Amino acid sequence: MEASFDFWTHLPAVIPELLLTVLAVVVLLLDLYGGKENRRNIAFVSAIGLAAIAVTPLIWGPSEQQVFWGGMVRYDLIAQIFKVMIIIGASITCLMAADDSEVGHKGEFYLIVIVATLGASLIAAAADLIMVFVGLETLSIPLYILAAFRRDDERSSESGMKYFLFGAFSSGVMLYGFSLLYGFTGETNIYTLSQAFPAAVADNPLPLIGALLMLLVGFGFKVSMVPFHFWTPDVYEGAPTPVTAYVSVASKAASFALLVRVLLAVFPVTLVIGQENLQTLWVNLVSVLAIVTMTIGNVLALRQTNIKRLLAYSSIAQAGYVLVGVAAMQSQSDYSVASVAFYLLMYTFTNLGAFAGVLIFSETTGSENIKDMGGLSRRNPWLALGMTIAILSLAGIPPAAGFFGKFYLFTAAVNANMVLLAIIAVLNAIVALYYYLIVIKVMYVDRSQYDSQSIALSRSTLWVIGLTSIAVLLLGTFGAQPFFDWAAQGAQALLAL
Amino acid sequence: MEVNFSDPNFLPWLIPVGPLLAFFIITLATNRARLVPATSHEYGGHHPDYEGMLVPVATVPSRILSVTVGLAGVIMALFFSYTVAFSAFGEHGFGAEVVYASNIAWMATGDTAFRLGVFVDPLTVIMLIMVPLAVLMIFIYSIGYMAHDPRQSRFFALISLFAGAMLTLVVADNLLLLFVGWEVMGLCSYMLIGFWFEKKSAYKAAIKAFITTRVADVVMLLGIVYLYYATGTLNFRDILYNPELLEQLAATPALIFGSWGISAASIIGIFLIVGTIGKSAQFPLHVWLPDAMEGPTPVSAMIHAAAMVSAGIYAIIRIYPLLEAGGNPHYGILSQPMVLMAVVGSFTALFAATIAVAQNDVKRVLAYSTISQLGFMMAALGIGAYIAAAFHLITHAFFKALLFMASGSVIHGMEHGEHHVHEHAAHGHDDHHHDDHHGHFDPQDMMNMGGLRKTMPVTFITFLIGGFSLAGFPLITAGFWSKDEILADAFYGLTKGYGAHALVFIMLAVAAFLTAFYTMRQLGLTFWGEPRTEVAKHANLGRGLVSFTMTLPLIILAFFAITAGFVGVPPDFPILGPIFSPEHNAFHYFVIETLHPAFQAEAPAVNAIPVLTSFVVALGGLGLGWWMYWRKPLVAGEEDPLVGILGPVHTVLKNKYYIDEIYVAVFVKPSQAFSRFVIDFIDRGILDGILHTIARVATWIGDLFKVLNTWLIDGVGDGIPDGIFDFGGWVRRIQTGHVQEYLLVVLGAVLVIGIILALSTGILQAAG
Repeated sequence: MEASFDFWTHLPAVIPELLLTVLAVVVLLLDLYGGKENRRNIAFVSAIGLAAIAVTPLIWGPSEQQVFWGGMVRYDLIAQIFKVMIIIGASITCLMAADDSEVGHKGEFYLIVIVATLGASLIAAAADLIMVFVGLETLSIPLYILAAFRRDDERSSESGMKYFLFGAFSSGVMLYGFSLLYGFTGETNIYTLSQAFPAAVADNPLPLIGALLMLLVGFGFKVSMVPFHFWTPDVYEGAPTPVTAYVSVASKAASFALLVRVLLAVFPVTLVIGQENLQTLWVNLVSVLAIVTMTIGNVLALRQTNIKRLLAYSSIAQAGYVLVGVAAMQSQSDYSVASVAFYLLMYTFTNLGAFAGVLIFSETTGSENIKDMGGLSRRNPWLALGMTIAILSLAGIPPAAGFFGKFYLFTAAVNANMVLLAIIAVLNAIVALYYYLIVIKVMYVDRSQYDSQSIALSRSTLWVIGLTSIAVLLLGTFGAQPFFDWAAQGAQALLAL
Repeated sequence: MEVNFSDPNFLPWLIPVGPLLAFFIITLATNRARLVPATSHEYGGHHPDYEGMLVPVATVPSRILSVTVGLAGVIMALFFSYTVAFSAFGEHGFGAEVVYASNIAWMATGDTAFRLGVFVDPLTVIMLIMVPLAVLMIFIYSIGYMAHDPRQSRFFALISLFAGAMLTLVVADNLLLLFVGWEVMGLCSYMLIGFWFEKKSAYKAAIKAFITTRVADVVMLLGIVYLYYATGTLNFRDILYNPELLEQLAATPALIFGSWGISAASIIGIFLIVGTIGKSAQFPLHVWLPDAMEGPTPVSAMIHAAAMVSAGIYAIIRIYPLLEAGGNPHYGILSQPMVLMAVVGSFTALFAATIAVAQNDVKRVLAYSTISQLGFMMAALGIGAYIAAAFHLITHAFFKALLFMASGSVIHGMEHGEHHVHEHAAHGHDDHHHDDHHGHFDPQDMMNMGGLRKTMPVTFITFLIGGFSLAGFPLITAGFWSKDEILADAFYGLTKGYGAHALVFIMLAVAAFLTAFYTMRQLGLTFWGEPRTEVAKHANLGRGLVSFTMTLPLIILAFFAITAGFVGVPPDFPILGPIFSPEHNAFHYFVIETLHPAFQAEAPAVNAIPVLTSFVVALGGLGLGWWMYWRKPLVAGEEDPLVGILGPVHTVLKNKYYIDEIYVAVFVKPSQAFSRFVIDFIDRGILDGILHTIARVATWIGDLFKVLNTWLIDGVGDGIPDGIFDFGGWVRRIQTGHVQEYLLVVLGAVLVIGIILALSTGILQAAG
């Protein structure tokens, strides 16, 4: 790639990843030598460490946007944005986990979360198929462990096993796709692949279609796209709640970052094989998958009685909305990429807030049934308020951030002349209102047998719920435009190629 | 936007923050209640339908905290408002060259962003002087007035939100933000008018206020949308300081009625004015305001003086150049919106004044006087006298807040007296005497009062000051100066021979005469003579905190009801002019810079005729009132002399021209009939039929998916026997349940998608 390799110019591109490794080692040592009674403090060490690391990409990075480390990672603004998002998500997860009676006092839990975050951070910037695969596995394998973290709990073990089997399967399919690409072109760098295609496949697009499809299976699994979503409800329900929260935000955000990058770089608009424009192909495919994903996620969520399962199906539907933005990338405008980034950012805060609420609720009552949430507003008004803000954001009601998230995504679709897609997405959002508002109604209007027990909030949960609520409200009001502009700026770098 | 506490461009952001924050803190944190039986004395007298139920009553710490938080919020607003205002007073060329403004990009709309911000110009400044002060007085008064109310915390939360919304509206730099404040106030007025929702009349009044103003607000929103469509901005300064844009708007035919010679500027103006007709209770949408006194009295003061109705007039003054566009009132050319304002305003002023003459309810008289006085302002705006309108808005706010709170004291005193009498009756002193009182004694009926000056002297004197100011008692009251200025401006047009000005002058002069008369009648019936009932004899405010907090604001406001007028004395007024306005009319000089120089209007020179008219109508009305109600005061059982004099006219006036009855017959009954039709036929028959079908189909599809996801996938898995298990031998041993089936579906999906994609490329066909 490059004639001379200067370590110091390459170092800043992976600073967050290096720091994450250091933090992982620190946590490991603390766990081993820190003494049993201090274990819970590991949560705070991890959370604060991660929060500090999240800031580093903003203050220290290479001076120009290009590929580093022999083409393995690319440093650009959009990668930084996603990294910040992922690492903050991990930080809040750690803070949340401190109150989980099952995992909170286990040091290795935080260690594994940090390692997973390392993988997620890597794939947000990965520029080579090898790096993509390594990053994905670094993210996935810790997640399998985390899902099965409560070894004695049947549901947790089952969830870990299901997650693992599903993940292994889709990794396999995706790896097959990678090997096809490599086999045809002899290239693994996603920024040079597309130039090698015409020579490699002449005018037969079939191999590329096969590879594209297999790639989509892998990503579809990670972002729980229908029909690769089956693991989602079982894993969400069975895994410890902080893990569920982490899977639903950090892992999803990283995978979307990768999906956006790979689709734009490997199958760019300029790529025409035979008479076939491959971008039109994947845009159509993603549009159809977006519709199916939204619709099935929402329809199934309508009938859920368990709050975690409800959020699982809701997260499937939300992935569908994001796919609308991905499909809108056919317009080649920075608006669509920025709308995806904004949605994932606000979704990170929103879903973490919602899961933090669920965690406290199930910790104190031992129940995850929606109907048992009756009277939550009387049991702890702050908790109910935090949950309400998160749920309003999920439903896309202002002044919560979800409103702008959906607004930008659907506008992106309209700008890309995909009006029908936008209409279907809006209709879906209306259907979704039903099950989201039911939860609010139950919390504020209904009563339950637990009505009289009040729920206490620990300081760390108060922080989690407070921070996420404030972030959601900020992004839904004054923060929306500045962040969006920032993401759009990052998107330009991605599209300029 | 820079956060800088010494920058007056930034400070306006903070003005509404205090009350809004107070609202959230009280609602979320300090609003604690405990449950007591509805029969408990703590719950007060509002529990006819709540027998055997537990009702929430605010706890004592919650009351104290809520009141403190509410007060802190409004004091914070007062502090920031006055900092900004005094900084503006010291600014050279404020309004023309300098305004305080800052804004942020709120939302991208296509290529441009909708910017949202705050804006302070001379008009804003005078509102910032009046609103927080009046609101603070209302808050202090509420401490005593609501001290025993079971929902005191809730009251303070809502009234804080009310104040916050009003201040938002005042500092808004664009119509949309103004509209937000406007609507939040609409919501607050609904909740506060219906605050004692146990009373049927209260919640009915709340709904009436909400729906009436809503009708107007929808029209106003249309105007805002049209304005945005026509100009691409809603920022006041961008639109109103831009004569070319306004001329262009005035030259463009409107989208609707354009062929009738109505310009875009006119139709926008008319739409916006309709919003004000609703909010400021002008005919024909005035019906909600008299009923709005069903709420606690501080709310009436808030609605009638400091906030709600002032907001309507304020909004009109704000957008005044837009309304004037296409005409020039100083040359007698009035645009259509201005004609509308002149006619509606002067008609309402007279119309409401005649109704007020025949009312016996102490607050209802004041309610109609508010409508009438708002008509004065509206009419003044219609003839281009926007400074006079602003002046009257301020003075009116002070003396009307005073009058409402004083009347609240009277009612409170009467209730106190009733309680006293009741207790004595219960002790068996003179049972037979009071039997007919219980249940239907009306503490607000002036016929039950009389002689209250003896037991409530402070209330009497402050009420007298407020009343005289309302009546425009010459030279020493604020109301005189502001009303005089409106008449002077109207007369100036009259001398030039402009019809609208003449109409306004005559109607307002008559209305002013009636105002003075009914004020004197009210004062006479309430305070003069001897008590006409046992209750009135014992009416007083008692002692202690309640009495103190209810009296202090009256005294402070009485001060302003007199002195607020002296800032706007014409400099060429004989004797008083040189004393109060040695250089120039301070109010006029300051406020005139609100508008672009193209729209500014100099005050006409002092003319003896309008001044004498002011004297004559005020003193004449007061004199007539004195002659009828003070010279020989009514005694118990005597009929109001007006009944005899006016005959059937009195009945019409007493029934408010039967407007409510007409609305019931014309709007309410038909719409109820229509609703019934819609419910029975369209809704239940057609729509429900369709919806139920859709719902059934949707449920069915949902079930189907559920079945697919669980039963079918499992079922197929179970159904496809050993083959699959043999195929994945190692998977089988794990026995996780259904993962293998899931994966099978994935595999199937990949195959199907792959085949579809391949087919769609046409390659297979080509190959085949």
